[in-house]
Amino acid sequence: MFTKLQQWLSAIFLYASFWLSSFYDKLPLTLSDPWKEIIFASPIYFLITFACFSLATIGYRVAIFNDCTEASEELKKEIIEAKKDLEKKGLKIS
Amino acid sequence: MATGSDRSVGYGLVALALSIFTYYTVWVIILPFVNDDHVIHQYFLPRVYALILPILAGVIVLSALGGTIAVILGRPKKQKTS
Repeated sequence: MFTKLQQWLSAIFLYASFWLSSFYDKLPLTLSDPWKEIIFASPIYFLITFACFSLATIGYRVAIFNDCTEASEELKKEIIEAKKDLEKKGLKIS
Repeated sequence: MATGSDRSVGYGLVALALSIFTYYTVWVIILPFVNDDHVIHQYFLPRVYALILPILAGVIVLSALGGTIAVILGRPKKQKTS
């Protein structure tokens, strides 16, 4: 099977060859000017899309971030238990 | 539950990302199909700036990062006192 790296590289090469052939007017298609402009700007557009997606993901994760109060109480209890246990066995904890 | 300020900052970031994405999509994808004398062109800079501004921002951010890293790595190392 193909690894993720190979998949990404082949997709990027495919896209780059398409973009370059459009840039040098080698495509066997007659595209109207708006389409040419869009293809010309598409790398930056994908970059901006990726940036917006990353920003939105960070924002969403910040918004739903939880305070784990129960887990913190449980952890404190377990620390006390462990300290008692270790002191019983002769370890000094400052 | 996240605190109120966390939630407002988080959803604010999501809203900011969505609005930038919408504005940029209209600017780059839809505007080439709209006639040049249409009213909507008042609200957007000429389309060259849709390419120049991100590239400029990228260059500034990358050079700031590189400069910071260079300054940090170029600092003389602290002598270890043993």
